[in-house]
Order: sequence, then structure tokens, then C-alpha cells
Amino acid sequence: MAERILLVEDDARLAAMVAEYLGDAGLRVTIVPGGEQGLARLAREPFDAVVLDLMLPDIDGLEVCRRLRAGSDLPVLMLTARGDAADRIVGLELGADDYLPKPFEPRELLARLRAILRRRSAGAQSGEVLRYGRLEIDRAARAVRVDGRPAELTAYQYALLLTLAEHAGRVMTRDALMDLMKGEPLEAFDRSIDVHVSRIRAAIEDDPKKPRRVLTVRGAGYVFAKAQD
Amino acid sequence: MRRLYLRIYFAVLASVITLALAAGFLWRQTSDRGPAGRAFEVASTLAQNALPPPGAPRAEQQAALERLAANLQADVTLYSAERLPLARVGRPLPQPGADLETGGWVRDLSGRPAWALRLPDGRWLMARTPRNRPHPALGLFITLGLLALAVAIGAYPVVRRLTRRLENLQRGVESLGAGELAARVKVEGRDEVAQLAESFNKAAARIEALMGAHKSLLANASHELRTPLTRIRMAIELMKDHVPPARRQALEQDIAELDALIDEILLASRLDAVEQLDAVEEVDLLALAAEECARYEEAELDGQPVNVRGDPRLLRRLLRNLLDNARRHGAPPIELRIARTAAGAEIRVCDHGAGVPPGERERVFEPFRRFPGSTGATGAGLGLALVRAIARRHGGEVRCEERSGGGSCFVVTLASRP
Repeated sequence: MAERILLVEDDARLAAMVAEYLGDAGLRVTIVPGGEQGLARLAREPFDAVVLDLMLPDIDGLEVCRRLRAGSDLPVLMLTARGDAADRIVGLELGADDYLPKPFEPRELLARLRAILRRRSAGAQSGEVLRYGRLEIDRAARAVRVDGRPAELTAYQYALLLTLAEHAGRVMTRDALMDLMKGEPLEAFDRSIDVHVSRIRAAIEDDPKKPRRVLTVRGAGYVFAKAQD
Repeated sequence: MRRLYLRIYFAVLASVITLALAAGFLWRQTSDRGPAGRAFEVASTLAQNALPPPGAPRAEQQAALERLAANLQADVTLYSAERLPLARVGRPLPQPGADLETGGWVRDLSGRPAWALRLPDGRWLMARTPRNRPHPALGLFITLGLLALAVAIGAYPVVRRLTRRLENLQRGVESLGAGELAARVKVEGRDEVAQLAESFNKAAARIEALMGAHKSLLANASHELRTPLTRIRMAIELMKDHVPPARRQALEQDIAELDALIDEILLASRLDAVEQLDAVEEVDLLALAAEECARYEEAELDGQPVNVRGDPRLLRRLLRNLLDNARRHGAPPIELRIARTAAGAEIRVCDHGAGVPPGERERVFEPFRRFPGSTGATGAGLGLALVRAIARRHGGEVRCEERSGGGSCFVVTLASRP
């Protein structure tokens, strides 16, 4: 059964192209040009997800999102333009499940949309999942996924990755990491942090030789990248 | 404003004193023929009538003089026309000098002035006010002092009112300058200050309108420019196999480039227009540098952990632009060093390229600057201008230096607390 998507976008030509593209991918897309119409439509018909433009002629996308969230947990993907004032608060308390800056890669739109649809069917544990671009750390299941595919990590490596991720954007020395990992049960081999990090990289990096997620800072320690693709 | 008050006060005082001096001078010039001169003529005639004729015996003249000066408590001496003493009351006074024709002030050796009066019959009457009267110069100083005080008291409320209104205006201008665009001043009265206040209000209203227009343009420009870009991007996708892959890739690249340029132009105008940084937090510069370095093939990071307060997105942009610049216009390897300094942090990005000629080291920070000999068709755009704008927003600066051994270094200093 095709999932139903409501596309709220005032640019008719763009909306038509997006609908065609998503339609080719097997989704059923309904287009409305304004926020009020969008909300009215959502009240009447069942949808599986909403793709919402931030800048709408009547009420802005944030307001639509807020009013929608008052009575529903329908997945919302927000389309923004980078540099928008709202782009800065996106991610904070938008209420949207994901957002994508214009101009976006059509394939990425599809991938993100599929991801939020999948998350929805997986159940309502979204508060327990940390997302960094294509990487997900599911704290409830103690699992790590890249592009939705599970990455094989030992319990200790998972804990190390989670510790790094919780301090994303900070350089963590090996000593600080050891300190934070004190509570974790040691594994059979008491390997150094460095070995564990290279195992983590092998599991989650696209190219473990050119890491983009867990980075080495020579002479200082490791840092988990805050901004990831 | 105190200085303005003092200047007005001194100007008024100086003009009052000048006026007094001029009046005194004129008085002296005209005293012979003026009403005062007439008064002295009358006085000398009266004195002659009261005195016995010049030929009378000395005792008679002495008695007459004593009668004349009975209640004056003054020194009076009578001289004959030949300037020989005839009679005197009180202390002796000097005889009138030979240069004296009609009468006037004379001074004796003690310096105290006496008045010489020539009677119509040629005799001289010398008179001096009593000794216990205060010195006339002292009187003058007291008068001047009182005058100065009166001017001060009189000028104060006038000047104070003026300066208070100017101060009001100054506060308005200052708060406008500080970015409070709604600042207006009260227009009181109908004089020049009121006109100035009105002109200020008009100018402030214009500035507010312009800034408002600029901000709303900025708020909408990104969306308005990027929606058509998204349409183009979408259209390429929908063309599917009708376009050769190479051309399609080139088109995608062009869109990405245009998107990046829009981004830079909007960021540059936002940095110009907006006073405060959007989000200020503690940023681990070394971690940020590590993330940005990971995006490049031949970038090496070295340094010590430093935290600075700033906008993480802008600082990321600063690092990325510097690395981009080194990759495009320099040659690998690119070295990035983060160092802690007394004031905050120093970022140093060096490349092994041809370097920047000394004359161009300041000009590379100008927007869209291309220096002679640069061949790259891409990105001599706003990158370094933005680096400078962002550094300055963080209480810092950027400069271009020569790298020893070839290539150039871009050095950014940041204050830890801008």
C-alpha cells in the first residue's frame, strides 16, 4: 500500500515536480499551496507524512507545525532555505522530525522521507534515538545504524561511541574517555581506546581511512563530529 | 556640555567687560566737553565765588577755604595762578604740574590721586578724598566680580536649558548609533535645536525604514533565490536519461556553486546588517578544526584545545573558507594550527603554494578580488572577505603572511570573550 504524503508548498511548479518524483518512487502525493489548507486537509484525511515548506504565503511552516503537533505525531519533514532566520532554530524546537535545506538533492529528499516513515512504523521511541546525519544511535536498543543498516559494535564500543557522541564537538582526551567509561564492564581484552576507535570506524565510517565521524586530533584525543552529512 | 556653558559664560563676561572699558574710554575722551566737564566748570566758578579774590590776604583765603571744606573730611589746598600755595586744609597736596592746563587727576609721590581744579581767575584748587575711603581699584574689582557673578547666574538657566536639550539630542543619536533604530527625540520649541531634533527624527525614521527593508529582503531572499534553484535541480533529476551523465554532473556542480555563492552573499549582508551574533556559545575550536580538516585530503591539524565564545556556525564557516582558499589558491599540504594566546586563540592556515605578493596581502580580503596571475576560474569570491567579517565579529582580525619556505599563511586572532 502506497504511503500518502501531504506536500504543503506554494511554488506550484516545484510542487508538481516533487510530486512527480515522489510518485515515481511509489508514494502518493497530495499538493496544497497554503498552511491553512494543509491543516484543513490533514483534519479531514489520513496521511502518513507531511512535507512542509517553511515559507508559505498565509501562515509560516513553523506555525503549521506547532498547530499540527498540538493534536498529532504525524511525521513532518520541513523544507527550509539555508540562512533563513528559522533555519537557526530548526533542530531546536521545530517539532519537525527532519528538515532539508533548499536546494536539496531529490534523492536525499526521498531518503529522508523514507527514514521518517520507517521510524514512525518502528514505534514511538524517537526521543531515545540520537541522529547525526545518516548515523543513528538508538539508546533504547543500544544499537547503531548508518542509513538504517545496523553497525556491528561490541557493548564497550557502543558505550565509547555514545560517550563521544554525547560530547559531540568537544575534543576528548584519552584520559577523559577512560574516566567516563569507568562504569562500563571491561571486555576480555583490555585494549587501548585507540584500538576500539579504529573498530568503531570500521563499523560506521564510509571510508575508515578517512574518518568523518570519529576524528583524531593529534596530540589531544578524539572528537565526534557535530556536523555530519 | 559643561564646556559649552563655560564658553558662553566667558563670552558674555568678556563682552560686558569690553563694553565697560569702551564706555570708560569714551568717557575720558569726551569728559572735557561733555556734561561732566560742564559740571567741573560750574564747580570751579562756584569755588571762585565762595573764595575771596586772589588779592585777599592769606588768612582770609585760609578761613574761606576752611569754611568751604568744613564737612568734606578731604585734603584741600589752594594755589595761586603762579602755582604757589595760598591756603590748605588737611594734609598738603602737591602743586599742579606745569603741563596741567585746565585741570584733572594728578598724583603725588604716594601714588594717591588728587583732583586739580582750575578756577576761572587762574588759581588752582587741589582736592583729595579722605584717606579712609577704599582704594578705587578695589571698588572696580568688586564691581567686576559682582558683574561676573551676575552674568554667571543670569546665563546659567539659559545655557542649561540649551545644553539640556542638546544632551537629549545627544542621547538620541547615541542610542540610534547603538542600534536602537526606534530611538527618537522630543521636539521642543521652534528654534535651531528644535529643527535639529526634527531633522534627526526624520533621518532616524529613514534609517529605520531602510534597515527594515534590508532585513526583510534578507529574510526572504534566501527562500526566493533557492526555490527556483530547487526547481532546476528537480528538473534535472526528472530528465533522467535524456542528459549525458557528464553534463548532468556539471549542471549539478553549477547549481551547488550558485547555491554557495547565494549563501556567501546573504551571510555577508547579514553580517553587515545585524548588530549582534545570532548564537553565542562556548566553542571547542580544536574540535571544530578537526571536523573541517576531515573534509580535505591533505589538511593536517596541529594544536592545543582552546575554547572561545562565539557563533559555532560562523566559526565553522571561517575555518572552511580558509581551508577552501588554501586548497584553491595554494598547494597541498595544508597546515592548520590552533594555538592558545593571552588574548584568546590564534588560527593559522598555511599552504605550500606560490604565496601572495606583498602588495596584495591586504587586498585579498576585498570581496570578489582577483589578483593578477590568478588563473583559477572558481571562488575568488567572498570567502576571505567573510573570514575577515567573521573574525571581526568575534573581536579578532585576520592577516595574510608569507610562509617561510614558500606559500602563504592566513592568521586569525580571536578574543576568547568578544
